Parts: sequence; C-alpha cells; structure tokens
Amino acid sequence: MAAVALLPLATVLIALAEGPPLRIADASPLYLVAVVGVAVVFGTGAAIAAAVAAFLLYDALFVAPRFTLLVDNPEEWLNLLLLLFVGIVIGRLAALQAERADDATRRAGESRALFRISRTLTTAASVAEALPVIVDDLLAETRMDRIWLSRQEGAREMVVADSGGGPRPSHRIHVVLTRTPGDQPARWVQEHRPMERAGNDPPDPGSGLFRTTISAGNEVLGAIWATRSRAEGLPDREETRLLSLAADQVGLAFRREHLIETANAAEIARQGEALKDALLDSVSHGFRTPLASIRAAAGGLLDPEVTWSDEERREAARTIDSEADRLNVLVRNLLDMSRIEAGELRPSLEALDVEGLVTPVVERVTRALQQPPVQIAFSADLPPIRADANLFDEVLANLLENAARYAPDAVTRVTASTCADGRVQIRVEDAGPGVPEASLPRLFDKFYRVPREGEGARRGLGIGLGVVRGLVEAMGGEVSASASPLGGLAVDIILDPAPEPPGEPTGAGEPGEPGELGEPGEKAPA
Amino acid sequence: MSAGGPGGGPGSPATPTGPRVLLVEDDDSTRTSIASNLEAHGYRVREAGTAAAAVRAWDTQRPDLVVLDLGLPDADGTTVIRRVRRDGTTPILILSARDDEPDKVAALELGADDYVTKPFGLEELRARVAALLRRAAGPAADTTGSIVLGPLVLDVTRRAVLVGATPVDLTPREYELLKVLMSQPGRLVTRGTLLRAVWGRQYVEEDHYLHVYVSRLRRKLAAADPTGTVRDLITAEPGIGYRIREP
Repeated sequence: MAAVALLPLATVLIALAEGPPLRIADASPLYLVAVVGVAVVFGTGAAIAAAVAAFLLYDALFVAPRFTLLVDNPEEWLNLLLLLFVGIVIGRLAALQAERADDATRRAGESRALFRISRTLTTAASVAEALPVIVDDLLAETRMDRIWLSRQEGAREMVVADSGGGPRPSHRIHVVLTRTPGDQPARWVQEHRPMERAGNDPPDPGSGLFRTTISAGNEVLGAIWATRSRAEGLPDREETRLLSLAADQVGLAFRREHLIETANAAEIARQGEALKDALLDSVSHGFRTPLASIRAAAGGLLDPEVTWSDEERREAARTIDSEADRLNVLVRNLLDMSRIEAGELRPSLEALDVEGLVTPVVERVTRALQQPPVQIAFSADLPPIRADANLFDEVLANLLENAARYAPDAVTRVTASTCADGRVQIRVEDAGPGVPEASLPRLFDKFYRVPREGEGARRGLGIGLGVVRGLVEAMGGEVSASASPLGGLAVDIILDPAPEPPGEPTGAGEPGEPGELGEPGEKAPA
Repeated sequence: MSAGGPGGGPGSPATPTGPRVLLVEDDDSTRTSIASNLEAHGYRVREAGTAAAAVRAWDTQRPDLVVLDLGLPDADGTTVIRRVRRDGTTPILILSARDDEPDKVAALELGADDYVTKPFGLEELRARVAALLRRAAGPAADTTGSIVLGPLVLDVTRRAVLVGATPVDLTPREYELLKVLMSQPGRLVTRGTLLRAVWGRQYVEEDHYLHVYVSRLRRKLAAADPTGTVRDLITAEPGIGYRIREP
C-alpha cells in the first residue's frame, strides 16, 4: 500500500526542503500530508499512529541535537507539539470523512440491492419465480460462494432456489444469524445441527455454512443459506445486514402469498356457496315443472269422479312418460356436471367414425323429440376422431335437445369437416332465434341462461351447455359458440383426429386371422 | 303376482302356456309393474327380490328367460348370471342403472345377452324380451353353412357375403366382424369380445379402430342394399358394444 510509504517519502522531502539550497526553516507540515493520506486509507487509529510517528521522526531527524529525541531550542517544542496536535486532529477528521464516504457508498449499494429484491418480489408473477433472481442478486452483493433459499414445508425444509448446482454442503456445525427485536445488533452464533447429512457429500472442513432464518411473526418460513471458504471469516456488517433484510423481505412475501391463498380459498368457498344457491334454485325449478305435469296427469287418472275416454287416458299417460323423460335428462346432466366437477370423468378414448357416430344420435333424438329431420353433411375424407363414444353421444344429444327446445321446428343442421390443423370440427346449428352476441361467451357457463322474453316455465336448467363443454374438454377437445349463417346459434366442437392405426397393412394378412390392426387394404377372397 | 296368477288387464287373460320369465328385481313397485305388464302380455312371470330367491327359482322352475337387476341386496347379480350360464344358454336381460357401464360390460361378458337402462319404458323392455326369446327359439347359428338374416347372407364355407343377390366385397376383418355379430343375432356383443374374436387377445386393452371398422362395414352393406333394410341392421351401444338386429 502506497500509504505506508508516505511517512518515509515525507521525511525525504523535508530533508530536501530544509537542506541546501532551499533551507526552509520548518518543513514539518509536509508530514501532515502523509498523515492525511494514512488516515484516508487506514482510518483513525493509523492516522493517530502516523501523527505520533511524524512527531518523533521530526524530533529525531530534524531538530537539533539531531538523532536524539532531545530538543535544544525551547521554541522548537512548540513547533513539535503543534505538529503532533494538528496531525492527530487532521488525521482523525480525514479518517472520519473517508469512513463516511465509504459508508455512504456501501449503503447505496445495499439499498440498491434491497430495492431490487423488493421490486423483484412485487413484480414477479409469483414468489417462487422471484426467488432465483433474489438468490443471484445476493450472490453478486456478498462475497459468498453459493447461496440457496429454502422453504419450510411442515417439518421438512425444501430448497426452492439455488445459485449453484450439485449437492449442497450440510455440515453438522453451521453459523446462524440470531436477531433479537429492538436495537440489539444481530450476531452470528455457531450451532450444531442435529440433522443427518444429505446425500453423499463429504463435509468440507474448509468451508463455512451460514444460515439466516426467514420468519414472520414467530413462524419459521424458511432460511437463506450461504457458504464460503472458512478463511474468509464471518460475514461482515454489510453482508449481515443485506442477508437479514433480504430474509425479512422474502418472509413478508411468503406471508403475503399465504394471505392471498387464504383469501382465495375463502373466495372460492363463497362462490361455491353462491353456486350451490343457483343450483338449488335451478334444480327446484327445473324439476318442479315436469313433476307438476306428472302429478296433474296421474291425479286425473286416479280421480274416481272423472270418466276418461281411452284417448284421454293415453294422452295423460303420454304426458307422464314424456315428462319423466325430461326429468331423466335433467338428472343425467346434473350427474354429469358433478362428475365433471369432481374430476371423475374418465373418458375411454378410441378411434370413432364421425358419420357412424353422428347419424344414430341424430335419428334417435329427432324421433324422441318429434322434430323435423336434421340436415347432415360430412366433408369427404373425414378422418376418424379420437373420442369417447358415450360422452360424444351425450354431447351431441344435448346440443340437439337444446336446438329443439330453443328453435323448435326450425331447420337444424349438423356438419363435420377437417380444420386446417387436421383437427375435426363438428358443428350443430339452427335457424332459430339465436343468441345475442353478448351472451355467446357465457353460453357454456354453468347455470347461465340467455335472458329471453316470455320463456316462462319451459326454461332449461342452464347446465346442458356447461355439460357439453365439460365433456368435450374431458375428451381433449374445444367448444365454441357463434352466430350461424342459418340465423340461429352455431356450436362448434373441435376434436383431435385419431392417431394413425398401428402397423401398416402387410397386404399378405391372412384372411380372418388375428393380426395387426391395419387399414383394411387387404381384400376378402370372394 | 306370481307365476300362474291372474293376468293384468281385462280381456287379456294370462296364457297358461306363455313363455316363463324369471324377474329378479329388489324394488317392489318396479317389480310389480313389470310383472303385471308382462303377464298382461301373456308371459308367465316368477318374481324374486334377492339373488338367493332367484337361484332357488332357477333351480326349481328353469324359466325360458331371466330378467335380472344387477343391484341386489344380498349378492351381486353376476352370481345369478354365473349360475344360469353354468346350466345353459337361457337368455338373460340385464336391468341396469345408467352409471354402471363397467358393470354392464362385465355382465355381458359373463354371458348376459342384452341390457336395458333404468329408467326404461315397458314397451322397450317387452321388445327386448321378445327379441331374446325369438333368438333362443330359432336354430342355433350354423357356422358350417350359411347364416341368413333377412336379405343378408353370410356364406361361411365360401367366406362370402351377399345382400339379396349382390355380393359385398369385405376385408378379412370386416368379414370376421360380421360373422361374429351374425352368429348371435339380437345379442349385444361387447367391444372386448369383438376385439378378442377378430383381432386377438392382445388388442383388447388398446386404443382401437373397432368403431371405424363397424361403420365401414355398415356403409358397405348399405351400399349393396337398394331397399335400405340392412342399413340399420348393425347398431352401436356407445361404450358397450354392437349388435346385429333381426330384420
């Protein structure tokens, strides 16, 4: 360090100044320059030592009698004491100034790091996403070799971010930062860790392991771990401050995240309650209407006072029959909805021929609902779709029943075509009154009913289309609604094509023998 | 009402010589309405509310057909299927709740012939009962000669299929599929059974193309038939299996 050479240099300069030809009477203030230099570099203690050394050197080297500490001329005493006094004062002032400047620089760095940490925590999408950035930041701001952050999950500590790779050291002894509330400074305390060593990493006696606990309130939420060579000693004041403040920030973020999760859970529970109310309302209404028709018809049949014609009796029985059918559909949809929501739907996907799938459902539903025939059109070269035959049946039946309810006696059309991406689109559309543009996005929401005039008692339960979406999504497909060119509503179901059948036709496949599931390229012998 | 009891409606007295049906159902009101309806249509119905009673009735009476609810209070309905199948080929019609798909398939693979899903209409039930009895009464499928279903003829010896006089060009697997279905007309054949019979055991659990083959087969048959009679002959029960109806 150049500062160590300042006193000898000053001595030489003074010798030159006081000697011929300059013969300056007293060049001792040159020592003050050296004292200031030492003060700036080494601080107060060194500055005082330098001032005393300068006093002794000047006395010994330049004051007669030379090379002794004696002083002949009493006036020289005053000079020497002034040199000593001014040296000490200037030295201390300079050292203090330097320390302040240093401190300011450090604090600026520290607050920059803290600002980055808190900004990372607030701008990241989740705390988990922010932690790796924070760990890297801490590594850059401290002289640690590796820093990792763990989170307490019950009794286990899970590492959630790590600046390095490979096995982490886990010495039995590590140093813990203990912080006490109030003005007590944080201290590093050695602690024996009663835990087993993780993995097969041998303890490295050359490295020190440091832990700063992340906590909120009295609850330990995790820890910031750091390691570096034992020779580097304990983290200094700034490193300690940075680690503890970072631990506080992360602790607050953990806490906040926990509160948000709790609040979300409460909100979900509240919405669940609201949904339950809507369900009860819908169900009681949806069930009461057909039940009322059934009781009215049955009551009439049971009335001994009324004489019924055969035709009237049949009519009453038909009412009971069709209303019971309606109840059955409601129950089916409710069960589906609860299975969808409970995640209990296990579609068994297989390759299905669209035409063979759609035609029977269309025929069955139109017959049951006594609707005019549905137009069906399939594009050529339609690949088989990958779907569950049962679920697809229900999806299509729901859509056709929906069209029959809201667009009775209007043209209904079912078309299937291949999309540009190879998926298959099946569209059910009608020429009925349609759905207002604003209602389209909510159409598949549970219990959503398009506001309509004069719908009255025949309104649906509002879950049919919700079930459609649930079932289609369970099969890996998508569903959407738009305005149909026919004038009514168009619902599009998009499903994946079935994968190519395994095994190419061998051509020589033995007729009738169990073999590869190939395309039927082979011909049956006639 | 039990076997030999008075018939349902006036004007349709029970025929003492009608087919004997064993009706196994634990719900009293369901069982009573089915029984009285079948009796009104000339069947002789023996009722049982438990699996044990069903097995006793089977042992003593040997009915012509069994209508069986799978959910019985004392034992699984499949124990009744096993018992009946041990003794013979008497048709079994399953009554099943809607969400019982795996149970239906299991019952069919154990030997049940068909099912109706609750809630069902009595008309539909009677149609299934009649179809099963018709099949049981007919000659057993002759796999050495020809199987004839209306205009549809499958010539086993020549491995040829005709609709009327028009030959239908089928691939080996389409032919096998049709043969399996035609050799048990009216019976619901599960997907597993078809896959085992046509493709071999190893394909039963795989993602398969059965539906595609059946659809193709239907189209080929329909194309060869200008009258439209065979078009709807093969029907699918989604998720369960396929059957070929008697025209």
